[in-house]
Amino acid sequence: MSETTPIPIPPLLPEGNAAAPEKVLRKLFLTLFLRGRSSRGLQKTGAPTSVGKKLRVVLILYGLFGLLALIFVHQSVFAMSVYLHGMSLMFLGMFVASSAGEVLFNKEEADILLHRPVTPKELLWAKIRVLVEVSLWIAGAFNLVGFFAGMFTPDGSWLFPLAHILSTTLQALFCTACVVLAYQLCLRWFGREKLEGLMTSAQVVVSIAAVLGGQIVPRVMFRMEGMVQFSVKSWWIGLLPPAWFAGLDDTVAGARSGSSAVLAAIGVAATALVLWAAFGKLAEDYEVGLQKLGETTSRPKTQRAGRRFLDRLVSLPPLSWWLRNPVERASFLLTAAYLVRDRDVKLRLYPGLAPMMVMPVIFLIQEHGRHDSGFGVAFAASYVGLVPMLAMSILQFSQQWQAADVFRMTPLPGPTPLCHGARRAVLLFLTFPLLVVFGLAAWLLHRDDPHILLLLLPGLVALPVYSLIPGLRGQGVPFSRPTEEAKSAGRGASMMLIMFISMALSGIALWAYLTGWFKWYLTGEVVVAAIAYVALRLSMANAPWPAME
Amino acid sequence: MTRMISLQNLTKRFGPQVAVDNLSFDIGSGQIVGFLGPNGAGKTTTLKMLTGMLAPTSGTATICGYDLCTNPIEVKRHVGFVPESGAVFESLTGLEYLEMIAALYGIPPNRARERIQQFLAFFDLGFATLTDKLLGAYSKGMRRKVVITAGLLHNPPVVFFDEPLDGLDANAAVGFKALIQTLAREGKTIVYSSHILDVVERMCDRVIIIDKGRLLLDGKPDELVATHKSGTLEKLFTQLTGGGELEQRAEDFAKTFRP
Repeated sequence: MSETTPIPIPPLLPEGNAAAPEKVLRKLFLTLFLRGRSSRGLQKTGAPTSVGKKLRVVLILYGLFGLLALIFVHQSVFAMSVYLHGMSLMFLGMFVASSAGEVLFNKEEADILLHRPVTPKELLWAKIRVLVEVSLWIAGAFNLVGFFAGMFTPDGSWLFPLAHILSTTLQALFCTACVVLAYQLCLRWFGREKLEGLMTSAQVVVSIAAVLGGQIVPRVMFRMEGMVQFSVKSWWIGLLPPAWFAGLDDTVAGARSGSSAVLAAIGVAATALVLWAAFGKLAEDYEVGLQKLGETTSRPKTQRAGRRFLDRLVSLPPLSWWLRNPVERASFLLTAAYLVRDRDVKLRLYPGLAPMMVMPVIFLIQEHGRHDSGFGVAFAASYVGLVPMLAMSILQFSQQWQAADVFRMTPLPGPTPLCHGARRAVLLFLTFPLLVVFGLAAWLLHRDDPHILLLLLPGLVALPVYSLIPGLRGQGVPFSRPTEEAKSAGRGASMMLIMFISMALSGIALWAYLTGWFKWYLTGEVVVAAIAYVALRLSMANAPWPAME
Repeated sequence: MTRMISLQNLTKRFGPQVAVDNLSFDIGSGQIVGFLGPNGAGKTTTLKMLTGMLAPTSGTATICGYDLCTNPIEVKRHVGFVPESGAVFESLTGLEYLEMIAALYGIPPNRARERIQQFLAFFDLGFATLTDKLLGAYSKGMRRKVVITAGLLHNPPVVFFDEPLDGLDANAAVGFKALIQTLAREGKTIVYSSHILDVVERMCDRVIIIDKGRLLLDGKPDELVATHKSGTLEKLFTQLTGGGELEQRAEDFAKTFRP
């Protein structure tokens, strides 16, 4: 066989005015973001064609939330900007952290794109552009009022909207680059073998950091009544990214103080540094990460041991009593396995739960030492009550949703036992540990007044009722729905509604506690919850399979 | 014959597990090579390395004279790959998907549309088939036709097929096999991985059998069958990789179904 190196091959097809690969990929990833990656139930004509259409409800909610910026209209440009950037950082951080895992490392994508003539850098940039683009929509919706309100602050000028657009864009870039950098560093430091596990941890940490960052700054602003300034005494402000970007606003369209200029310089330099590190220095690691997803490796022994432990656990009392029904037990084991092993499920579930759990911690710590405390305790329990509902909602979605068709092939009249199995796994492995953690935290913070721990009870009483809601009308079958439905804005809105109801109930419980009506309030809640629980169980009992369409 | 694919001690390890172990062979232009092995033998891993999807742990390979490790983009430009998974972006229409793939190879839109029409005519499909529905709603056979089109759209000189007939109906399968043979006669190099051994025996000029990542046999199917006196390629394959008592084991197992 003769050899020539390289072999001259005639042009495969005439090249002409073809679009650049970056443009093609950007269009592809934006379309995939809008439509989702699998299409059961998605009609071509009904598929969203723009970010605005896709996120309409969410953007409206963000826009309404942005009205709170008006509170700061009598304060300085810097104070208002710190608030706007603090909240934007939280929203963007949560969005990017929850989307980045699936966007950056999609398993199915490897078979489609990795053998095409595109570089990892082109792939990475295209994905980043889409993330930044959607981030800017979210930031734009939230800052819509702020863009103009900033002009009417005492030291504001007509330049504020322009300055704020610039600083918000920089912040979106900073936020996206930070998340990508976190993944790249995990790859580099801990190795690609641990990528799957690390992705979840990285995402949880980023989500918590975003919520903490977003929550701390506005609280500091309220506590200091807007008189916050970067100086030698308050050097710590220089560590807060929202303050950097607020410094930019202040330098261009505010008081133009020297300290603001320093903060702005830190912001610009930090953004440039993070961008360079994430997309330049460490871009090669991205290809390694993508290739890792295409590799098939045998399971480590420890995980097989984990399953044997679970098998033993469910065969012993009290779990064997709790899981007498074999279908419920099978569903329990399936859910438990996915909670530990499945990258896709873990990436959605834990980062989805983590930021929610930060809020009660902030409330608990914030009220520590105050004489009118108690709301944080009641609020923490209400939040834990939401965990099974949120988790069950998230666990319905999986990249392997088609595999759930196997449930319909079995001689089961309906999905209810599968829902109960999954629900019990969530109660045991997620809710119970959180309950212990919050209970301990509440006890530690209120050791001088242990009676206040009674305020945990209203949330606990509501918990079983909440946990049944996702299984109503034959829904709630674990891992049975395509993942793009998980991003439904309606679901997010209903979760927010339930969260507000929980806050209201916590408030009522605290009022009852402080006014001596708590015993009666609790009795009433127990009765209502018991009736609701029985009614929900009965309505679920004979639920048929929902239509596959 | 020009050497189009060349592997020298190609190795891939996943942690302690060796998936491909010092694999070396050459394939010339115009050949159809059956690439065989039992499940887990390392076929797909080898194909993924040769298409630039996985980096080898050690060893080298060249495709059309381009080194896989130093010039992966040129390698990718010169190969077509039809993966076993048949993965597509389900929320795109067939046309959107194929036009996106064409654009990644630098094919201008009008030329891409023309080329897609040619594939549609070959598969005897109307244009509306590609525009009416999202890929997630396609039948398995239709989806496979789209994946085959995406693998051949840019007219690559080397094509890797991993179970390409999976899902195709009988007519489409016959047409596809004829297409492969014609392409090979015109100088394209085809690597064909499949478990349907009678098809491989009839279509391929040469077969390479691997097991546990190592090369077991390499030669013309009729010569190998004659040398090992096995009668058919299927029997030769089971002799080499499956043990001799497969039929007896099946009979014994079937007894467990009796009431």
